[in-house]
Amino acid sequence: MKEHVLARPRRRGGDRSFVVTAGVLVAIGSALILCLLAILVVQSFSSSGNYASLITPTVIRIVLNSVELAAIATVVAFFFALPIAWLVERTKVHGKAAIVSIMLVSMLVPGFAIAMGWLFLLHPQIGLINRLSAAAFGPAHPVLNVVTITGMGIIMGFQLAPVAFLMVSAALRSLDYRLEEAASTAGAPDIAAIRRIVLPLIRPALVSSAIYVFIIAFGTFDVPAIIGWGNRIFTFSTYVYLTTNPQAGLPDYGRAGALSVAVLGAALLLTVWSRYLSLDSKRFAVVSGKGYQTTQLALGRWAFAAYAFVTVYLVAGILLPLAVVLWESFLPFVQPLSAATLHVANLANYNAIFGDAFFSGLANSALLMAVVPPIVLVFSFAFSWIGFRTQLRGRALLDGIAFLPHAVPSVIMAVGVILLSLYGLNHLFQLYGTIWIIVLAYSVSWVSYGTRMTNSGLLQLSRELEESANVSGANTWATVRTIVLPLISRTLSLAWVYLVILAGRELTLAVLLTTPGNTTVPAFVWITWLNGSLTRGAAATVCYLICLSPLIVGYSFLLNRTRRSSTAVGSPV
Amino acid sequence: MISIADLKQVYRDGATTHAALRGVSVEVAAGEFLALLGPSGCGKTTLLRCIAGLTEPESGTIAIDGETVYSAAEHINVPARMRDIGMVFQSYAIWPHMTVAQNAAFPLRYRRPELGAGQVRERTAEVLRLVHLDALADRPAPALSGGQQQRLALARALISDPKVLLLDEPLSNLDARLREEMRFELRALTKRLGVTTILVTHEQAEALSLADVVAVMDDGRFMQISSPRDLYDRPRTEFVAGFVGRANLVPAEVIATAAGGSAQWVSVSTPYGVVECYTERPRAAGERATLAVQPEALAIVPAGGDLHGAVTGTVEGAAFIGDATELVVRVGDTVLVAKVATTDAPAAGAAVAVRIRAQTCTLLS
Repeated sequence: MKEHVLARPRRRGGDRSFVVTAGVLVAIGSALILCLLAILVVQSFSSSGNYASLITPTVIRIVLNSVELAAIATVVAFFFALPIAWLVERTKVHGKAAIVSIMLVSMLVPGFAIAMGWLFLLHPQIGLINRLSAAAFGPAHPVLNVVTITGMGIIMGFQLAPVAFLMVSAALRSLDYRLEEAASTAGAPDIAAIRRIVLPLIRPALVSSAIYVFIIAFGTFDVPAIIGWGNRIFTFSTYVYLTTNPQAGLPDYGRAGALSVAVLGAALLLTVWSRYLSLDSKRFAVVSGKGYQTTQLALGRWAFAAYAFVTVYLVAGILLPLAVVLWESFLPFVQPLSAATLHVANLANYNAIFGDAFFSGLANSALLMAVVPPIVLVFSFAFSWIGFRTQLRGRALLDGIAFLPHAVPSVIMAVGVILLSLYGLNHLFQLYGTIWIIVLAYSVSWVSYGTRMTNSGLLQLSRELEESANVSGANTWATVRTIVLPLISRTLSLAWVYLVILAGRELTLAVLLTTPGNTTVPAFVWITWLNGSLTRGAAATVCYLICLSPLIVGYSFLLNRTRRSSTAVGSPV
Repeated sequence: MISIADLKQVYRDGATTHAALRGVSVEVAAGEFLALLGPSGCGKTTLLRCIAGLTEPESGTIAIDGETVYSAAEHINVPARMRDIGMVFQSYAIWPHMTVAQNAAFPLRYRRPELGAGQVRERTAEVLRLVHLDALADRPAPALSGGQQQRLALARALISDPKVLLLDEPLSNLDARLREEMRFELRALTKRLGVTTILVTHEQAEALSLADVVAVMDDGRFMQISSPRDLYDRPRTEFVAGFVGRANLVPAEVIATAAGGSAQWVSVSTPYGVVECYTERPRAAGERATLAVQPEALAIVPAGGDLHGAVTGTVEGAAFIGDATELVVRVGDTVLVAKVATTDAPAAGAAVAVRIRAQTCTLLS
């Protein structure tokens, strides 16, 4: 072999500059998250009366309402999620890809659209089903009234079922089936294997996903706003909105802050507990990146029941409400489907919404969908890198900080961002009222999701793949560019598309931060709805769904493909 | 070529610390093949990673070809990418998103930025030929078998012509037959290229057959650094005797030293008779020591043979391992492991006479 003259690389930098860059990003991200929480706490003590003013029958009833709502939603979500997850992961049922797609689509369709549909169907006076029953049995007996805590809880449960489904099926999938086989070879019957091996092993995952779903349900705005608002049934989220956007008088941020801090405390405790549980489950080391061929049960004749169950979910969770929304969008006011109403159906609502407000909303939403995902992923990658690729002291704490927004209900996050911009950042630059305050809110909220994805990406990557690049002469920037990013690109693209959809469908954060200059489409829909134009809101929803649908379908396709080829992908929650 | 002095490394996990290297020093000459041999957790991989620059030691110095690449006192720690090394990882670390040729050529991009595209192609083809992968250059890397991946990892480590080649258990993921094949190939290749090589392994056969020098490690220390032959025939400590081969450890007492006193052969008395054995340092008569008796050093006396100097015992177990048979022989309340040609092996339960062959054993220090 001929001799090569050794050309010593001249640039020695490139390792330190990478760590410094990542460190600066992490410092900025952590500072924002901590400042946000700190300012909530400080503001909540702005007046001594803030906390005292919460001890009123109204507020207590609202908190109890919200707990009831969240509990019902959690129960309903798991009622659908557990059997469907088991069906997909542990049986030989056909059409698993279709079942997963149904779950994904119903997770991605904006919640306000589904809520609208059910309101149109089951409102005690104008609900189509109730009107039909009134025509048949007299007006005194609405069949079902959705404008109740129970009704809203059930509808929210439909929407949260996919979130629970993804968490439960991830837990089922990561369970080494050989543990069950070991139980069988030890003489345990199947039922005993499930009860004594499977359930204890996935219990931490079940409890922590239930807590997660409960917290989302507690803080979500869509359903209580669309259904409860008109009938003055308030929950935590709508009440915070009312306090910060009063119909008369000045916004009371101190009071909203106090209420938020109280709820946040409870949410944080729950989250810390669920994180402790999930750490505990890792100790068992049954979670592995290997794609196990699980033993799968043949359902036989019971497959029919399984399909019926999924169909019920599909119809109630998506098809029926969306069909009703579509129908009502052609009408001047809410009316049932009949020959008579067919004549009044027209495109007036569409003509009315196609104005500057809708198009500027579309532009704002498009901007958010373009800008937020890269910001979230860059920050998330920096957090994960510091956490898993450096020896920095306190890196576990940093990961905990990135996880904090996960525990913060969206309304609270929005109040925090408003306070931060009004009392903190606005001294530096005008943030409130611009689209950038929404960019900030979305980015901070979703960095906890982003870091879960980048964490799992880096975790599944063997260190030796990077070390062999280092030994080959590549510095950290080059290693990340040529080895790390290409290898985790699947996880990243999945996260990216999911974030694009989140940015498109988010109502809760947007609605609290919205001002005439930075309205997003979901906020536009809400404002239209709030002004009483229900069918016009439906028309805007239909238009927006048409815009979002390619993304939703694309994401379902992408995730389905990834699920089939590898299991080492974090669930998008 | 490689000079390591008093290298120390400590792993900390919260409050508990674990010393991985307790001050190791070694010199490796240019072109030499050194094997680091030891049980898992002995610090051999840590030492290799310190040489590579992937793990930073606590103290000591490392110099490669006269250049200090690590010195705690001088605050020098040259990063891995600027050390003149090639490395094969235990997992091979083949990048799955690249082709065979892209994997192999990767180090050229950074270590030889002055090369043009044509030269890179030429050099890549050359190194792939070297490991017999030239026909697969355009394959996606995950399509390779384990043995091919191992060779690709080797090609990648060698492509930039490093002064030092580091091998981290490169054969442990191969099946037994392939492993033996690769052993010969690896030895021939490194010798042909003249590259200074350090191999980490826990398999004594691998270390003994590949290396010029074997360093046995335990608990972060070198126990013995010798040629493979000396290591096997003349272990210094019980650990080495037990880890390299499966030596029987027999209590012995020196009864006579050969003429001159400094001579290396002494007679010792053991429960299994008097035997002439090797000692590294002079011994006085009456000194007690442990005698390491490799299983091959035990001879089974054939029926009707000369029983002088032999002891009788019973075969408790016989394990057929192909070309040889391992016997567990009970003599009184002690047990000896013997390895004999299968053709000569007595059956389990048979009464046999065993003798330690003269001049085959070593007195431990």
